[in-house]
Order: sequence, then C-alpha cells, then structure tokens
Amino acid sequence: MLRAQAINPLRPECLGVWSMLLAWLLIPCFEGFASALTPFTGQQGIAFIEGYCVSCHQPPKPKGGLDLSGYTDLESIAKEALDWEKHLIRVRDGEMPPDDEEVDQPDAPQRLAFVQWLEGFLRTTACKDGIQPGPPMLRRLNRSEYSASVRHLLDVHFDAGEALPDDGAGGEGFDNAAETLFISPIHAEKYLEAARSAVTYAFADTRSSKRFLVAEPSDEISEQEAASRVLSSFLKAAFRRFIDAEELADYMRLFESEMAAGQDYYSALQQTLAAVMISPKFLFIAETPVSPGQVVSVSDVELASRLSYFLWGAPPDEVLMDQAAKGLLQDPEILGEQVVRMVGDGFERQVRHFSQQFVEQWLGTRMLGREFKPDASIRGYDSELEGGMKYEPVFFFHELLASNRSLLDLIDADYTYINRRLSRHYKVDGEFREQPKRVDITSDPHRGGLLGMAAVLAVSSHPHRTSPVLRGKWVLETMLGEPPPPPPPNVPELDERPQNAEAVSLRQRLEKHREDPICANCHDRIDPLGFGLENYDVLGRWREEQDGHPIDASGIMPNGSRFNGPEELKSLLMERKDQVIRNLVRKMLGYALGRGLGLEDYCAVESILEDLKANDYSAHRLLIGIVQSVPFRYKMGPAHEEDFQ
Amino acid sequence: MHIPSDRFYLSRRRLLQGAGAALALPWLEAMAPLRASSPQPEKAIRMGVLFMPNGVRQDQWTPEGEGRDFALSNTLSPLEPFKDQLLIPTNLWNQASNVGDGHYVKTSGFLTCQTISKSLGFDLNSNGISMDQLAANHVSGRTPLSSMELAISPVSVGVDTNVGYTRVYGSHIAWSRPTRPLAREINPRLAFERLLRVTSPQTDQASSDRLLLDRVLEDARDLKQRLGREDQSRVDDYLESVRILEKRVEMASRPDGTPWQPAIDMDPSQRPAGIPREHAEHVSLMLDMMALAFQTDSTRICTFMFGNAVSNTNFSFLDGVSGGHHSLSHHENKEENLEQYQRIAQWHIAQYARLLAKLSQMKEGDESVLDRSMILFGSGLRDGNSHNPRNLPLVVAGRAGGALQTGQHLVYEPNTPLSNLYVSLLAAFGTKIESFADSTGPLPGILSEA
Repeated sequence: MLRAQAINPLRPECLGVWSMLLAWLLIPCFEGFASALTPFTGQQGIAFIEGYCVSCHQPPKPKGGLDLSGYTDLESIAKEALDWEKHLIRVRDGEMPPDDEEVDQPDAPQRLAFVQWLEGFLRTTACKDGIQPGPPMLRRLNRSEYSASVRHLLDVHFDAGEALPDDGAGGEGFDNAAETLFISPIHAEKYLEAARSAVTYAFADTRSSKRFLVAEPSDEISEQEAASRVLSSFLKAAFRRFIDAEELADYMRLFESEMAAGQDYYSALQQTLAAVMISPKFLFIAETPVSPGQVVSVSDVELASRLSYFLWGAPPDEVLMDQAAKGLLQDPEILGEQVVRMVGDGFERQVRHFSQQFVEQWLGTRMLGREFKPDASIRGYDSELEGGMKYEPVFFFHELLASNRSLLDLIDADYTYINRRLSRHYKVDGEFREQPKRVDITSDPHRGGLLGMAAVLAVSSHPHRTSPVLRGKWVLETMLGEPPPPPPPNVPELDERPQNAEAVSLRQRLEKHREDPICANCHDRIDPLGFGLENYDVLGRWREEQDGHPIDASGIMPNGSRFNGPEELKSLLMERKDQVIRNLVRKMLGYALGRGLGLEDYCAVESILEDLKANDYSAHRLLIGIVQSVPFRYKMGPAHEEDFQ
Repeated sequence: MHIPSDRFYLSRRRLLQGAGAALALPWLEAMAPLRASSPQPEKAIRMGVLFMPNGVRQDQWTPEGEGRDFALSNTLSPLEPFKDQLLIPTNLWNQASNVGDGHYVKTSGFLTCQTISKSLGFDLNSNGISMDQLAANHVSGRTPLSSMELAISPVSVGVDTNVGYTRVYGSHIAWSRPTRPLAREINPRLAFERLLRVTSPQTDQASSDRLLLDRVLEDARDLKQRLGREDQSRVDDYLESVRILEKRVEMASRPDGTPWQPAIDMDPSQRPAGIPREHAEHVSLMLDMMALAFQTDSTRICTFMFGNAVSNTNFSFLDGVSGGHHSLSHHENKEENLEQYQRIAQWHIAQYARLLAKLSQMKEGDESVLDRSMILFGSGLRDGNSHNPRNLPLVVAGRAGGALQTGQHLVYEPNTPLSNLYVSLLAAFGTKIESFADSTGPLPGILSEA
C-alpha cells in the first residue's frame, strides 16, 4: 500500500519569509491561547464525553435522537469520525453542552483542551494509513462538458448539448458528480441527434472542417488513406488518449461498410465521425481499473483529462496531451505549472466557465431566475438585473484565480465586479457597460466579499421578503460548511410573516421562538447571522429602515461574541477564516474529483488547508494543492476481489 | 451530401427564432384525421400521471357524498364536465413516505411506494420501480417510446445538506430501476421534435443507422470489459439505451412489411418555439405534448411533474395569489394563506381538466382517447403545513377502455395503501401484477367485472 506522499509545495517566488510572518500575525488570539494548553489525552477525552455529553445523549430518550453512550473507546469514535467532526464544532462553539442550569458545563480551558484533542485525533485517524485516493473515475460527461467536448472536436460554436436532458447534482453539490450522472433510455437517442447535427454543420463550415479534416483524398492520397488519417486524429481527440491499431481498424471497417452500402466519401465519413461521438469512450471519462487493494498513479492521459475537465470543463489541449505523451505530468512541479498556465492568459473563456460552474453551484446563485424568482411586489427586478447579479460572483471568482489573489477576499474585499445595471442597483457611480468590470469599493463598506453580493442575498431570501433564518442558514451551510440539521418533527413552522394584528417585529418573534429550547438549539446560531444581513433587502439593496422602523442588524452568537451589521459579521467570519477556507477546499476538491468526499479525503483537505495557511491563502495554491493531492493523482482498487471485473 | 436537408428540421435559423412567438395552439384540432388505412389492431390503453408538489387545502378537496352520488369540492370543480369519467379515492396513504423529510421522500416515492435511501448521491436508491414503468414494461415494443417523462423545472440545483438528500430525488417520480431515475424533457419544442422523429422516421437511413449503432454497441462492450464491476453497470445503462434506439430503427423499417405507424400524422409546422416565459403557457404546452404522444400512439405511458419537490413557483399570475407555491403551502391555518393555497391547487386541477378535454376530443374508433386512458392526478402529501402522506389528494380520469368503473367517489378505511390503487390501475392496464410494494390487494369497487 502506498504511503502518504508529502505534498511537495512549489516555491512561489513572491511568497517567502514575509508570508510566514503574516500568517503568524493573523492567527486569532483564541488559537494562540489554546496552543498554550496541554491537549487532553485520549482517556481524558473519553472521560469528557462521558461527563458532559452522555447524561443527555443516552437511551431510552437520547436528546435530539443522538445516542453517544456507546463511545467508550477511541476505536468507536474513529469509526464515526465524520459525526464526531460535527459534534466537535458544537462543543467548540459553546453550543454543547447547552446553556442550562441543570447541565454541567466544562470551563473554558477544559473545553479547549477537549476540542484540540478531538480535532487532532480525528485528523490523525483519517491520515493514519496515509492519504487514500478514491476509485478510478468513471462518469458520463455532463451536459456542459459534452458541449465543450464537441466544440473542441469540431470547432463548432453552438451549444451541441442543448437538447440533452439536464443533470442533477450529487456529492458536494455539483452536477459533475459521477454518482448522479445517470443514463436514461432517452440519452442515446439525444446523443445521436446531437452528433448528427454537429457533424453535418461542421462538414458544411469551412472553418470548422479545418479542425478535423486533416487529410483529403487526392491523386496521391486514396480515400482509404485520407479517412484513416482523419479518423486516427479524431479518435485520439475524442477519446482523449492514444488509440490502438485495433480501435482505428474498427472504425475504418465502419467507414468501409458505409461506403460499400453506397454512400459517398463524405457521407460515409460523417456517419463514422457521428459514431465516434456516440461511443461511450467519448461520452464517459473512464479510467482503467486498479487491482483489489492496490493504489496506482492516475495515468498520464487520465491526468490530462482530470486537469482539463476540472479547470476548463473541456478536453485536454495539445499542450497537455503532449506533456502526457512525454510522461511529464506525473511531476508535481509540472502539474503546478500547468495549473498556472491553465488559469492564465489566453484561457479567459474556459476559466470564466469554470468559475461559473463552480461558484453558481457552490453558492446556489444558479437558482436565481429558476428556483428563486422574486415576487412581483419586489420592485426593480428584470432579466437585465438578474444577469448583472449572476455575473458578479462569477467574475469575482475568476479574478481570484486569474490574478492569484487571497481566498480571504471571499470573506471581505475592497473590489467587486459590476455592470451598468448592477451599478445603478448598488448606487455606484462611474462608467459601466453590459460586461461587468472590476471596481474599487474601498469607499463603500456595504459591498465586498460574498456577503455583499446581490445574488447571494437574493437566493437566501423568500420571494417576497428577507429571511434572517434562510440567510443565517446560508452562511452556516455555504460559507462555514456547517449545515444546520432540519427542524425536529412536529415542530410547527416558524411564523416569519408580518402580522397585522400585533405590531411585533420579526426580531421579537424570532426571539420568542428561541425561548423554546428545542428551537433555540439551532436557531441561536442561525438567526443572529441572518440578522447581521438585514440591511440588505431581498435583492441586496442597502436599506437603513424597513416599514418605517430602523433596521437592527446586531447579533450575539452562542459563544457570546457580538456584532452589529455586515462589516462586523465579516470580521467574525474572518476570525473563523480557516473554517471558511476548509469548506471551500472541500467543495473544490469534490468538484475536481467529480464525486462526493469520504472520510478518507478528510486528510487531503486538511493538508491543502495547512499549505494555504502557510501561503497567504493564495488562490493558485488552492488549485495546485488540489491537483497535487493524493486523491487527484492516484486511484485505488476495490477492497474486495469480487468487485474487480 | 448524403444526409437530406429536411431531416434537419432543427435548423440553426429556427433555433434562433426563439421563444417569443405566440403560441396559441389550434394544432391538435387542425391535425389530419385518423388514418383510415391503419385501424387499431388492439385497444391501446394509455396511462398518464400528473404530479403536483406541495399538497392541497384539505377542507376543500374531498367531494361530498359517496359512491355515484357525490358533489365535487371547490378545488375539484373544474372537473365537472368529466364527472362520469372520474374515480376519486379517499383515505389512501403512502406509508413508505411517512418518514424522512417533508418532500423528497414523498416525491421520489410517489409512484414506487418505497422509501428512498438517504443519500447525497452516492448509493442513491429509490428502492423500487415506479408503477408507470411496470406498465411500460408490459407494453414494451408496441410503441416507439416505452414511456415519456415530462416536467416544467430542470432538476433542482445542488444537494440539500440540511436534510441530507440530493435534489435529484425531488425532481423525479419515474424510476425504471431503483437506481435509475428517468430524465425528463422540459422543453416543449424538444418534446415535439422527439415525437416528430419517432412518428416520421427516415427509413432510407435505417441500414446505415444500424451499422453505426452496431459499432457503438461494440465499443460499449469493449469499454465494459476494461472496467471494474461496479462501473460496468453505468455502461450497461448506456448499452441498454443504445439497444432501445436500435429496436426503434427496426420497428420503423421492419422488413416483414408491418412497420410501426403513428395513429395520426403530425404537422411539423406546429412545432412550439421553446420554453415560454409564462408558467401557465409552459404547463399547457407540456400537457399538449402528452396528449399528442397519446394521440399518435408514440407511447402509452407518460408522467408529468408540475413542479419539483419544494417547488416555489410564483403563482402571482392568479387572481388573489401573491407568492410562491411552497411558501403558501406552509399556510399556518391562516385563512388568507389557505385561500391562496386553494386557488393554486384549483388551477392545477383546471390544467388537468384541460388535458382531459383534449383527450376526449380525440376520436379513436367509436371511443375517445380519454375513454381508453387512465390519467392519475395527485400529490405526495396532503397538507403542505404538516407534510402528511395520509389521505392523499388523488383523482383518476378515464375508463381505461372499460376496465375502470368511473363516476365514483370511493371512501376507504383510513390508511388504505396507495399501492392498492396502483395494483388496481396496473390490472386495468392489463398486467398480471398482483402485488406492488405494501399493497394488500386491488381497491374494491374500481375494476369492472371482467
């Protein structure tokens, strides 16, 4: 079995001693305080669980349905490490044990010692056998990858996958997850139609046909010879790997049969290319299997595809294929260089596409205009504004990648991307066009970072009004990676609606709601975060008052920290920046691998995070960390022999 | 160039014409009459399912009176013209969906009567085959499309980490295998073009197509051999998808001289422009596609989703309604909300009635297509406030060629399995299926004495 490879970081010239110093200075005080403590031993940790958790969380009626009585040794905790990771966060945040007179509370140093121990234990457990990769990738191209792949093959500039059924999402929430890329009976039919349309169009278009008609029959070149040349380059591009003689012969046979059936050269060739495009070898990313219990490197050409579908959502270009042919991509340094190339100059369209796919699904802003449409009573909404709103986080993220900025800009930044319509919406002066442009917003403290973006604020609202509950949930789930559990059964739905009879504010009603300890459990950490954003209306416009009442955007978190308004909320998130970035790393690793993450990936996430902490949270380092990681570069065989062929 | 230009009715120029065009739809009426030369060799029975998310206002759903003497409720009132074609069962429930979350379980399990596995994608499993697919299997090979799945909204974005389900679950009711939800068509133009393709196949292309598909099947087998066992099933799904296509080519060009023919020719000029902006128009077009599929006998099974689970479609276009469907379904028993919630349900029933009207105008022999259909309308929960899958709102319309005794409101014992209705419908459809999920037998009083 392969041992974990120490991730061999690139040495970016621009970072160095200064970044180390800066990283040290940025460590929040409580972490510094914690590190002065001696963490618990395993025995002490178990004793803490027994002393502070089990009295409520045990049969016959474990609180919240959570039974912790069986965790009497380290092994049992290791088995449920993912659950313990969640419990850990509750304890760390002071939510557990609950603030109740009848419940024993650990003092602050005890709590910290426990948290430090558990965090360390879970990490060591996940990393004990080295970072383990997942299985070989096998997934259908999703609709947008299909379109990009056809564009690459035929140089056609329309959406070839337009008529395909849309794809759902799985795993970390992306529609490139292998597990939810199903095949329905309708697919082959749609692929056939799409391939025919695209091929017919491409043969008729002089520019397009240059891409793939690499030979023409002539006096010197027979039809057979020309077809063979066209096919061998087309097959390589379509299957994204080197083609063996037999595969070429198979397709030549089809070409010849079509000719024998009375078709002319071009028709027979069209039909043959269409066949290539509905072959599962084109439609699936299918890596070679690994023997049971083995870990092997992802092959060179497989790595090229992993890279290009990750960063471009498209097949590898000639440079990648060339490097793969030379066996260079196995070198982590070269992988890193490729990443920088791939998000750099000349690839704006691809990187914009990647940003859009990743960001809109991560943040949920893809729902804008789909699952989320504001009510007619919300003034000012139209498709033009919707466009500007959706662009902002995409362009912003693109800038992070292309200019290698700090990922912490996601929490707070002094710039954003707006177009003409959005500039009016935000009341920002200046010359703007349809295409969003970068704008300095140092003077506008209400914008900057994801939480000031209209698209984010909208999809975390109700169609007719804002909701502190939904926005708080959004921050927990999307930024902190800590989705709150669903409300317990039989709890009446919270009434957030304005009530005419009693003129009580939403805040008062939510506070009343939190008097119920069952609700308070989660809403104590959900609602305050949302109230911090109440200065933004449904569409993210700044407001100081609502229905004649001034907005109160203050909040107190369960651990006692207070804030007032979005700026202080952002500072609060900045204190938890590693949690925010950890969540981002997870999401992006899941996206890059095209699957949901398991516990075995936990360790890879942590080591990428460590690297980011030491490198100013550089956006390039994130991408590099991911492609250099064990799960990205290696694949593992099934645990059992019977699962292998 | 060999490929004739008219096969590409999907021309770039047409695509660009876009969705703006007006879509008054006289085309169903305008189409050619039944082809006299191709009499139906058998009575083709159709099964349609219309799924509505978010439940109904309880106190305005159930008809008054029982048996043949009943009065439709306010919500069901648009069905008045078809009263003698209706079967309204009261007190059925879907026990398997009485767990898990409020919506996903109740959507994916609506036609399977099984509990979905909690999953963000990995090991996704509905644990059953939906009853429409059992019907489809029964008539497989008689029509070019085994079944057709239609919807309004694309598969919902993302996974719901709050309750731990991928939203794929909330976006599908038809499952041909426990691990395979069926993709839906949401664009009426694409659905129309698909029907056009299957009703007017290019028979001169058949031998060439066969060569091409054979090559693809060989590649699929080749690929399969190179994969691990678990991964092979995905390629198997694709193999099956290609084989179905191959069968369709066969069906259209049967050398023995009995190729499949549509019951009626389609008029390509009636192609819808695309997805209309207005929800009501979109729904109306998609239901037209169901009617067209049944009329041409392109398929006998069709499911349609008015919306995905938790759909918050904005119904402000209805008088007296302001807000999203899901938000209003959490009515908190307030009259102002209940009133709007009811209007939304009634609007859905009106769309259903409109479909029934279309089917009743389509003549087939001495009957109408509606006479030979069973069109189920229902929701996976009763009351949106409590997410309760008891006493589900359900209506069946159409006599299924005489197999169903319609014109009744049947009140059963509380908590009678929904699957008993499905067993009855599958019997009316001609299958020999005697049990389904938690069924205990067909519902009494529904099936005609054979």
